[in-house]
Amino acid sequence: MNDGDLEVFLSLVERHRSYMYNLALRMTGHEQDAKDVVQESLLNAFLRLDQFERRADLRTWLHRIVVNCALDQLRSQRRRPDVSNPRPLSDVVDTAASSSPDPERLVVSSDCRRQVAAAMNTMSPLERVTFALRHFEGCSIGEIAQTVGIGQSAAKQHIFRAVRKLRLALDPQRSGL
Amino acid sequence: MSHLGDEELVLHYYGEDGPGLVAVERHLRTCAQCARAYEALARTLNAVTPPEYVEPADDTLAIRQMIRERLRDQSSRVGVSQSVSGENWGMALVWLVPLAYPLSLQALFSSGQWAQERLVFIPLVAISLLWACAGPFLAVFALNCMAADRRGARASTRVLVAGALMAATSPALYLLVARLNVSLSLGLGLWAWYGVIALGSLVGLLPWPRAFSSKARFSYVHRLSALVLTVFVLGHVINQALAFVSLPAYTAMRSVMRVASHEPALYTLIVAAVGIQIATGVAMGLKNVRAGAVARNLQAVSGWYLAAFLLIHVFSGLLVSSQPQAATTTATAVNQLNLLATPRATASLPFLLLGVTAFLFHVGVYARLAAMAYLAEAWVRRLSYAGAFVGTTVVVTVGLALFGIHVTR
Repeated sequence: MNDGDLEVFLSLVERHRSYMYNLALRMTGHEQDAKDVVQESLLNAFLRLDQFERRADLRTWLHRIVVNCALDQLRSQRRRPDVSNPRPLSDVVDTAASSSPDPERLVVSSDCRRQVAAAMNTMSPLERVTFALRHFEGCSIGEIAQTVGIGQSAAKQHIFRAVRKLRLALDPQRSGL
Repeated sequence: MSHLGDEELVLHYYGEDGPGLVAVERHLRTCAQCARAYEALARTLNAVTPPEYVEPADDTLAIRQMIRERLRDQSSRVGVSQSVSGENWGMALVWLVPLAYPLSLQALFSSGQWAQERLVFIPLVAISLLWACAGPFLAVFALNCMAADRRGARASTRVLVAGALMAATSPALYLLVARLNVSLSLGLGLWAWYGVIALGSLVGLLPWPRAFSSKARFSYVHRLSALVLTVFVLGHVINQALAFVSLPAYTAMRSVMRVASHEPALYTLIVAAVGIQIATGVAMGLKNVRAGAVARNLQAVSGWYLAAFLLIHVFSGLLVSSQPQAATTTATAVNQLNLLATPRATASLPFLLLGVTAFLFHVGVYARLAAMAYLAEAWVRRLSYAGAFVGTTVVVTVGLALFGIHVTR
């Protein structure tokens, strides 16, 4: 593959880059991580161009690559926890509070953001990714299982555990745990 | 309808309750307790909203530069060294294993004899045993190195996969060839073995079927027959380990198992299960191997070895003497404990040790993947470590027994 191939590839994926970045951001919860995931995904996609079937949808193919790169990124972070650089909470969840200027509500939503971010940081990479795909992206459990390469029952269990952790953080009295 | 559980409520929230949707809706309208629980769950999940859509900075230039640099790195490190050099190295290694396998048995036997005279030679026994048992592990290594060509379209990939198959099954195949050579009075000696290797290399040169139609169907039948065999094999493995603790107890248990497994109905069931395992396993194994997928390759290679092991273990009586009653290789071998006593018995040592190891790996990798569906990753990891510890203990215990070391004789 030469420079010409790379240029053609970049022009093809250009209109999907924003989608890829936001998908990565929702799964990793961190701008820099999302950038890294997009770069890694583009490199992987370029290297595996021969595996892309012409009939398939480019966005669906890139979606799968981004999800798996995000999963790898989260796993590698888990192996090398960076305590000196805590997650920026505002990246993880942006509540509807931004539309309300009420200072009291802002404080409440900020607390909520912090709790959600803390809960998401306790999730395993698979829990975090499957939950983000189901909750933020609206993917079905079948699609998630196929994308991540696990069984449907495994995908369900990861989502259940992710929801349980969220409930424990946000609503400990009602979580039943 | 009883109260809805947390998991049913989560599935309902995401509209994933399938055909049960109407029943769940109806229940939520009539049951105040479940309605409250659902409301609380919905409130929690509604509070978790995604980050606002962000337009990323235009870093196309940086991405272009990064990809170019990474490609340069890869072509110098991975591209050339892994896909070509790595594959060549893997190919050389896997074909060297069957070629040198008879030598490893000779080394194992000789070192065993020396160790009986002088203990200082014991490390040589360990090294020779590692050499004799290295085939399946080198096969996994070689499969990880191969270039991305899952369907065996390239001749080099086919030669590598065929070599991995030969390397993985060498200890079992060698034993089979040696026995056939003796029982059929062929008098070919080592030429019979090298003939089999030549046939194996031909398999790599011929074109292979592109794909099998339904892996799911194979997988179901494979699992079903595996359940039958697991009981049988597990009994043997536990008994082999028991031989280390007490030889009389082992002999007694072996007699009971022999009587049971020689019942015509049970014997037919075992033979059928082995046949199904081999046929479906070989199809799935050839389909599943791919570069970089360590767990899949480990599963496939341990399956290949198990197939060869079971083939010889259960069918050797039929193949050699046409008497099913004689089809207990393990028992025959262990009758002569220790297995380093004669050059002929020595061939059974890596054969049996790898049989136990392959069974534990094959079941262990599958159990790990299955556990991922029901347990948290941390728990799966802990259980995997525990399983690895138990598995190693079993293999070491069986190994000591096969070397003729027993707590009670």
